[in-house]
Amino acid sequence: MNCSLGTCESLVDWVCRRVNQTGTVSESVNESLDQEVDVELLQRMARGDKEAFAAFYDRYAALLFSIIFRILNDQKESEDVLQEASLLIWEKATVYTPSIGKPSSWAVTIARNKAIDRIRFLQRQNRLVEKAATEGEGNEPVRSVRDSVYGREKAELIRVAITDLPTDQRQAIEMAFFKGLTQYEISETLREPLGTVKARIRRGMLKLRASLEGLL
Amino acid sequence: MSQERKEELASLYVAGAMTSAEAQAFEREMLQDAELRALVTSLQAAMTVLAAGVPLKQPPAGLKSEIMAKIAECEKVVPVSFTAVDERPRSRWLLWALAACFAVLVVYQQNMGFQTQTADMEAQLAEARSEQQRFQSLTGILSAKLADQEKLLRSMSATNQLLAMELTQIKESDRLANLRIALLNSLLADSPKAVAVSVWDNQKQTGVFHVENLKPLPAGKDYQLWVIDPQYKTPVDAGVFQVDEKGNVRFEFKPRQTIAAANTFAVTEEPKGGRPTPTLDRMVLAGNAKEL
Repeated sequence: MNCSLGTCESLVDWVCRRVNQTGTVSESVNESLDQEVDVELLQRMARGDKEAFAAFYDRYAALLFSIIFRILNDQKESEDVLQEASLLIWEKATVYTPSIGKPSSWAVTIARNKAIDRIRFLQRQNRLVEKAATEGEGNEPVRSVRDSVYGREKAELIRVAITDLPTDQRQAIEMAFFKGLTQYEISETLREPLGTVKARIRRGMLKLRASLEGLL
Repeated sequence: MSQERKEELASLYVAGAMTSAEAQAFEREMLQDAELRALVTSLQAAMTVLAAGVPLKQPPAGLKSEIMAKIAECEKVVPVSFTAVDERPRSRWLLWALAACFAVLVVYQQNMGFQTQTADMEAQLAEARSEQQRFQSLTGILSAKLADQEKLLRSMSATNQLLAMELTQIKESDRLANLRIALLNSLLADSPKAVAVSVWDNQKQTGVFHVENLKPLPAGKDYQLWVIDPQYKTPVDAGVFQVDEKGNVRFEFKPRQTIAAANTFAVTEEPKGGRPTPTLDRMVLAGNAKEL
């Protein structure tokens, strides 16, 4: 198997190794995102297993850093926040249970919330550079986290699901998730009634879930 | 909570669109609702997938080791080690002697400590008893004061009642102050016993008129009541009336114009239905009004 996917980041390297062992990309990706594996890692982390943390970090650092950077658009700040989020994940592994969600979702939520806290702090400090990295329609980057995390096959399905999301729904969700705006702030920014904003977020989330049902 | 409402709240929560207070309230709600938790979990998974659409950005390679170092720092424990006891026999008895002395010293100090503690506790107990006595005395004083206050309150209640009665009387007298009464005497030779009383309420602009012994009029004629108010050039019409066979009648009247001062009341004999101005040569009763 020729792993000529670019720079062969650690996660991709890991995927390549799995591919060489199992023979298929999709199976390897499935396994790499195996929730049970992640749960086990977190349980080991809860017992103080630093090697488990290292493995968890290797699996999710790119995803978390990418999301943090998308929010902050600043390398140094993003590094600081990833560090804070990672330490918090280590600390909170003791309270994680599968009932509160998938490990990936749990980690993403922690990282996102840390990033939003930082953005608010920086806004208060007037040091934030207001250059939000946007991902426009028809202007997809060469490589996204999606591609590396889910593999090409599933990534394409996910891309279609997100593209099919109506623009207003996606916009409202992204304003909340990546900019940390509350429903009231979104309503004010878009000059739309609050009920409209709530409905867009609700419909968008449900549509996304329905589109990705087979993949989640 | 309806399903739609749950979906709305869960979506807002997962997208991060709630305020802190709203999120905390929702988390409390989730603790009691398994269906809600499952909904949130499913939406979070979808959110994670959406989030993964961001451009790929690798963290610097050195960051991992920094993080690992920080984790190690948090858990660094310095083991406590004990130095070995000197095993040389020559110094063993000395050690035991020292240990014994130390033990005696500890016991002595403890004993002194206990004695001091006991003395302290006795002093505290005495102080507590003294405090208790003071409280008892204070309680007695407060009880007596409370009884006095209750007595005063009762007295004030009685006074209140009296004041209320007086106030009512004052209000009544104010009302009475608005009343004017007129005694109208007969001006007819053939009805000398005719008499009338008019009670006029200037505030309400109404009055009561009582007539006795006034001869009934034939058909086609009415008696008419007039109020003389200096502000007007002519007497003010207060309505027509008829008496019964005994010459009596009592009625309420309201003049056609506002009366500022009802100085005089008069009754005239008029054609049926009355006239806008009185026929003065047919005046049958008249009288000046006085205040009560």
